[in-house]
Amino acid sequence: MNMHPRRHTRSAKGRAISTRAAAIRRCRFALALIAALIALPGCRSGAPPPQFPPGAMVLKLAAISDVPTLDPAAGYDVDSWMFEQMIFDTLIRYSDAGVDLVPDLATAWESSPDSTVFTFHLRRDARFTNGRIVTSADFKYAIERVLDPATRSKGMEYYRAIAGAEDFAAHRAKSVAGIETPDAWTMVFHLIVPDPIFLQKLAMPFAAAVPREAVEKWGDDFSRHVVGSGPFMLKEWIGGQRIVLVKNPGYFVKGSPHLDAVVEAIGVSEDLQWFKFEAGEIDVSNIPPAVFPYVMKTPRLRDLTLRIVTVTTRYMGMNCQMPPFTDERVRRALNYAVNKPKLIAVLNGRGIVANGVMPPGLPGYAPGLSGYPYDPARARELLEQAGLGHGFAATLWMPADQTMMILGQSIQQDLDLVGVRLRLKAVAFAPFLEAVRQPRTVPLFFMGWEADFPDPANFLDVLLSRHQWGANNDTFFSDPRVDALLAEAAPLSDLARRYALYREAERIIVADAPWVFLYYPITYEIQQPWVHGYVLNPMRPARLEKVWLSPHPAS
Amino acid sequence: MLAYVIRRIVFGAAVLLGTSLITFVIAFVIPADPAVAMAGAKADPATLAAIRTELGLDQPIYIQYARYVDRALHGDLGRSYIRREEVAGLIISRFPATAILALAAMALSLALGIPMGMLAAAHRERALDNLLLVLSLGLVSIPVFWLGTILLIVGGLYLHWFPLGGFDGPKSLVLPAITLALGSAGYYSRILQTNLADAMDQEYVRTARGKGLSLRAAMFKHAMANAMLPLVTLAGLDFAGLLSGVVLTETVFDWPGLGRLAFEAVFNLDIPLVMGTVLFAAALVVIANLVVDLLYAWLDPRIRLGQQL
Repeated sequence: MNMHPRRHTRSAKGRAISTRAAAIRRCRFALALIAALIALPGCRSGAPPPQFPPGAMVLKLAAISDVPTLDPAAGYDVDSWMFEQMIFDTLIRYSDAGVDLVPDLATAWESSPDSTVFTFHLRRDARFTNGRIVTSADFKYAIERVLDPATRSKGMEYYRAIAGAEDFAAHRAKSVAGIETPDAWTMVFHLIVPDPIFLQKLAMPFAAAVPREAVEKWGDDFSRHVVGSGPFMLKEWIGGQRIVLVKNPGYFVKGSPHLDAVVEAIGVSEDLQWFKFEAGEIDVSNIPPAVFPYVMKTPRLRDLTLRIVTVTTRYMGMNCQMPPFTDERVRRALNYAVNKPKLIAVLNGRGIVANGVMPPGLPGYAPGLSGYPYDPARARELLEQAGLGHGFAATLWMPADQTMMILGQSIQQDLDLVGVRLRLKAVAFAPFLEAVRQPRTVPLFFMGWEADFPDPANFLDVLLSRHQWGANNDTFFSDPRVDALLAEAAPLSDLARRYALYREAERIIVADAPWVFLYYPITYEIQQPWVHGYVLNPMRPARLEKVWLSPHPAS
Repeated sequence: MLAYVIRRIVFGAAVLLGTSLITFVIAFVIPADPAVAMAGAKADPATLAAIRTELGLDQPIYIQYARYVDRALHGDLGRSYIRREEVAGLIISRFPATAILALAAMALSLALGIPMGMLAAAHRERALDNLLLVLSLGLVSIPVFWLGTILLIVGGLYLHWFPLGGFDGPKSLVLPAITLALGSAGYYSRILQTNLADAMDQEYVRTARGKGLSLRAAMFKHAMANAMLPLVTLAGLDFAGLLSGVVLTETVFDWPGLGRLAFEAVFNLDIPLVMGTVLFAAALVVIANLVVDLLYAWLDPRIRLGQQL
């Protein structure tokens, strides 16, 4: 049957109106939903801030990164070590403000003249926070745990010289034969090769005592349930938010620590740290580069700053496998071409011009090295001699960091004056580290090295020996003379002879110029006027046992 | 309808599979050795080899991928190389903070954007419309890191009205939510203004106005329903993006959400965590798309979902 056109139209319109009405009703519901969304977040968010009794002495800190781990066998970074050294004890440790070794749980120690036997005597009053006395067996267990491949500890390499370590790591032995514990308070290490820096290795948090029962109870989650014997113990750790340590009432040093708690807010950018510091919300802070000049020009703030030259060297590596950096004349030319005092000025004075590999503060440091003064004419001359008088182009890789980029631009301008056209390439830090380890991949790169322990080997051997290719020798530099000197120096306990050999190796390295030696950084922090006893260490995070707070508005 | 939903779920699963494959291949080809990341650069070859065997890294890539998918289907996204914790657990622990911020930001952006769009449409081509146009463009153009920092300085440091970052209660939510919401509000306002203006020109609205219906009534009762539809799509996808984490805002405000977790994972080249956060974000986008499509149909029954595909 044919449908009447008009009726058809009316009918269609009727359906349309009805549909639109339904849509309107639903749209109203959607608007109501939006109103509900507005109300919903009003509910309490986040974990409540930690509460402490009135008058409690609580040090408030802030950090950009979360703490990767609190397990001393696993942590190998500044953030982890800062907390590990508060929670755990090693046999010996570094002094608060220096790189000299002082007792921790060991009361005394001896080493054989050839540096192959080390004997420690432990104090008898140290307890884990679970109440159990700390004994030599706990230290032995800690090092065996580091040596066990299942732990995947980055500290394994430091203890491989202990007799029996290889057999233990390969599961051919149930314990490390070279660690003897004749009684609960004595332990003896036997090494297969002389190692004059074994004491320094035992001062690393990897070797801190851990209670076997707690590790076995928590397994991979030990990091979240750490039990140590140090001045503080873990109370709360909310990933990405905060970490809270409280005083260990059973700490073996009576009257220590002074603080009742340490609270670190996590994920706080440098700028936000500064705002919090200005508002009195945190007690110690880094100083962002942008406000550093203001701080140093303001007497009220400048008087609150702390300064230390860290045992660190910053350099621009040149890949000795990649032309034109295979030619030492080119490498030396770049050293003359970079204006290092200008870099220090760019850093607002937060550095010292580097003349060599080893930084001041490192035992064995050679103050007499003249390095490469700024001399663009000499640089052009060397490039001419290398057949590169017309210049060349190269790419400088660097971690994606504001300061690095500014330094890179300064170097870019300097090198442009001698005909070297530099392209800057900023890369996230982890991929950057991976890339520089690949052969013939990264021609030029910014890098820094902070000492693991205070000995020239930690710089010269780790960064510039042939056997570190693909690991930490990122310039793929190799000089048989250097390797021979490093091998000769490594087992020597005679420090004068040892340092003389290392200095000779450094002199050759500086002449070969695999790096453009840039600067030794100076670290600045700022503390509130009510903070006392906070001391910076040139090589480790600050220890907090002796810190105390006078009454202040924020308390 | 059911068939449509099933088809969309299958499609979403395919998207997730594709995302996981792309992420896995990228993780495989970049010059990063997970064994070195775990044991350190100084680890000896035997230790590295043992770790590679334990993780199955010595297997062909397709077997590694198949194992990853199998584990992921059972809720196991692996363990973080750096934190040595379950990736799924890390994501779940960070999601509430992100979800609360996303909800607040979305609600605020709609609460601001919709009235602004309506006002602008009601005063089309008049001073208020122009003013709101400039305001909207301004809001869209402000970088979140700058806005966030300024809000922190003014609202936190000088006025002491809000905490200086952190995640410690409702007050701590205000500044990051505003930072995230303002840009979206400006955008929603322009979209709604344009759509409302179009709808107001339609015959059915002009007829209603001709019959004596007031501007407000015509807008609310007739034009809004049609004009809101594109906004639903936009807001849905925006919401998925917010739920995946907002790196800059979370970083500026010390907000412990997924964005910062993902950023740290990439920064540390923590491959299992990178893959976990990417997969989770992809799943959120897929789900949001599905919800938006269903909401779209629910808001406007004229749409015949089954026939669209």
